Amino acid sequence: MSKGTNKASNALNELRDMDELANGDSPIHRLHPLVKFLVTIAYIYFVVSFSKYDITGLFIMLIYPVLIFSIANIKVSTCFYKLRLVLPLVLMVGIFNPIFEGRAGVVSMITLMMKGTFSLMASFIMVATTPIDGLCAALRKIHVPSILVTLLLLTYRYIGVLVREVAIMTDAYKLRAPKQKGIAINAWGSFLGQLLLRSMDKASELYNSMQLRAFKGEFFYASQRGLNCLDVIYLVACIGGFVAARFINLTETLGGLFV
Amino acid sequence: MIKFENVCFSYENGTQILKDLSFEISEGETVGLIGCNGAGKSTLMKVLLGLLPHEGIVKVSDLELNKNNLEEIRRKLGFVLQDSDNQMFMPTVYEDMMFGPLNYGHTKEEAEARVDEVLEQLNLTYLKHKYNHKISGGEKRMAAIATILTMRPKVILMDEPSTALDPENRRRVINAINDLNITKIIASHDLDMILDTCDRVILMHDGKIIADGKTEDILRDEKLLEANHMELPFKLQGLREFI
Amino acid sequence: MHMADALLSPAVATTMYAASTVAAGASIFKVNKEKESIKIPTMAVTAALVFAGQMINYTIPGTGSSGHICGGMLLTSLLGPQAGFLSMIVILAIQCLFFADGGLLALGANCWNMAFYGCFVGYYLIWKPIMKSKLNERLKLIIAPIVGCILTLQLGAFSVVLETSLSGITDLPFGTFVSIMQPIHLAIGLVEGLVTSAVLLFIKEARPELIKDLRPTEAWNCDAAKDAKSNGKLSFKATIAVLAAVAIVIGGGFSLLASSNPDGLEWSLFGNADSGYSQNMGLDEEDYGVKSTAADKAQSVQDKTSILPDYGFKDSDSFLGTSTSGIVGIGVVAAVIVVVSLIPKLVKKKEKDEQGDK
Repeated sequence: MSKGTNKASNALNELRDMDELANGDSPIHRLHPLVKFLVTIAYIYFVVSFSKYDITGLFIMLIYPVLIFSIANIKVSTCFYKLRLVLPLVLMVGIFNPIFEGRAGVVSMITLMMKGTFSLMASFIMVATTPIDGLCAALRKIHVPSILVTLLLLTYRYIGVLVREVAIMTDAYKLRAPKQKGIAINAWGSFLGQLLLRSMDKASELYNSMQLRAFKGEFFYASQRGLNCLDVIYLVACIGGFVAARFINLTETLGGLFV
Repeated sequence: MIKFENVCFSYENGTQILKDLSFEISEGETVGLIGCNGAGKSTLMKVLLGLLPHEGIVKVSDLELNKNNLEEIRRKLGFVLQDSDNQMFMPTVYEDMMFGPLNYGHTKEEAEARVDEVLEQLNLTYLKHKYNHKISGGEKRMAAIATILTMRPKVILMDEPSTALDPENRRRVINAINDLNITKIIASHDLDMILDTCDRVILMHDGKIIADGKTEDILRDEKLLEANHMELPFKLQGLREFI
Repeated sequence: MHMADALLSPAVATTMYAASTVAAGASIFKVNKEKESIKIPTMAVTAALVFAGQMINYTIPGTGSSGHICGGMLLTSLLGPQAGFLSMIVILAIQCLFFADGGLLALGANCWNMAFYGCFVGYYLIWKPIMKSKLNERLKLIIAPIVGCILTLQLGAFSVVLETSLSGITDLPFGTFVSIMQPIHLAIGLVEGLVTSAVLLFIKEARPELIKDLRPTEAWNCDAAKDAKSNGKLSFKATIAVLAAVAIVIGGGFSLLASSNPDGLEWSLFGNADSGYSQNMGLDEEDYGVKSTAADKAQSVQDKTSILPDYGFKDSDSFLGTSTSGIVGIGVVAAVIVVVSLIPKLVKKKEKDEQGDK
């Protein structure tokens, strides 16, 4: 990923990269979005439910994301960039465990980091294999209110437009104030304010354009299809696996076979 | 097809934007709406679409524009916005094109057939599953036109369809306009495009109609254009001595 | 302040989801009832704007560093509490899905910490009263955002500490954790408040009607009057919804305290007994008279947890307190993972070979 100093351009690149991944093709991409969504939620739920000292039991959960990354043909390392936001925070909270608890604290800190990394990998792989419209359709299927889903879809669409504007404005600002680290105080209000005013015009244009095409509050999603048996097998297999891993320490059992 | 009788529009603070407009557009005509910034072109279009309230009478196919007929009238009209981003709010071109027909109660199969037909007609089939935020400005404009055409409007209204396009894409849009066999109203400052597409021109200034006539006549009238803060189309400038 | 999934236990995460869902449900009810269909595009574009606005770095005078905004208060001041809350949910969902900022399971908690306080508490407690006051407009738009941002960020930060502690994630004593989090968020809140205020002052000059409640009487008279009338009724419902949500959080929190997490209960009732904290506080565990089953249960769980390290570590001398088979198991799983991650390469190679054959 090319990284500049412009936060907004970086965000745009990140969005674009996710989009490209999501539009790839693999058995995982072809699964029904709803199934992927449910499995991901279940996975994260089971991962965080492990005891904070159960490092061996938790370890086997790593197989799921790695396997899915493999089948989806996405390099595991693509999600590491995103860890920069999660890990510091988790570490900040976990770093005190060794201080207060000694060796047990080391274990709990490590499981905490593992939980953070695992759940990130799981949600990353879901988004990286499911386009936003598929995700929205899945949310509608589980009866998330239409207003929220509509809002999600529209916001996602306009984030692309407005973040680009911010990127351009930031560049324009920097070109005239190369030594400043950010926006100086005398422009605090007008910088975002200008964009806000333009956005409001955009919103009313958007409203018009929806009205002219007889929008009645419900979107249509292209990626609507029924569940097939592959989806169901995937769902049952994954959740069965998670349950097994959660209640039987598979890592130790496996190890026992060799000892 | 479209009839304005003594139509006025003013904002709530009293500023009058449209002043007593009367004209008629018959079926199949291509009308260019020209005038400087703030002349009232966009306002006129929005009044026609029922987006702004008005005084006087607006008729579309003998139906008078009012609350009861609004949906019926909007069905006949297609509006291509100036900023395609505001128009294409769905993630992909395909979904955006499906949006209108489905909201008007057509089945998915019907809508799909229309989408394919329009894409073929405009040579845009390759755009079908592209993401709206990833296609180029020219493609976006064409896709926006396609989005409107899937609703099979009787009249298409376009607000500055040629702005911010490179010459090739501009030509592509002009050709697409010329290939359409419906009534067209095009508001623009691009007089060369108007010259290439329209058979009739309405010149507006300060909310009033200054001139209404054949494209050739109005766009060649250097004095009239200059009096209303415009210039001869480039195409005609070289031919000045012949005018 | 975005919490990661790892920082929450399933019970806390679920409780927070329930609370945020109640608040969202009430908001949806209100927004749908308003029937202003223009609201949805406006909400979406404003949410996208706030998201984009988070990418802007503001130089903080005199410090050489820069900060950015989260935008909860800005959304509320433009859209009102309900629509603002829904827009904020969407922003948080996009951040968690596409930018890994926050987590899918932690979304409920994040909505509560960042959106609920900013939108509802910020609006009903700070924004509305100040807008109704007789101060001059400029002053209102300086005071309300700054006070609002500071207060709501403090509440948010406190909730983060509470949720993390209740989840039993950290061994950091609650008090220490709070004393780290609150001052940091005081500074963040101040910057956010200043930027929000600057933006609103700019908007006031250009389009004052965009700012919620700034000029109640002037704005589109009949609609505003209707709105004011119905507001009384609806705010009652909103109050009930808010109360219900708060009750879920408190009830859920306490039941958790009582059942699964002795640390939290210990702290809240007796302080930390080991460090003599309860004595310092003038409380004595025995004399305090708490003999409920919950307390008993908590005591037994506490015993278990406090013994756990010893018995995990003293009995087996192996690394990190796990058994030998555990360690071998980790090795086996690691090997499986390596093999699994090689699948794409193998598949590609096979494809290449096949192509070569042809």
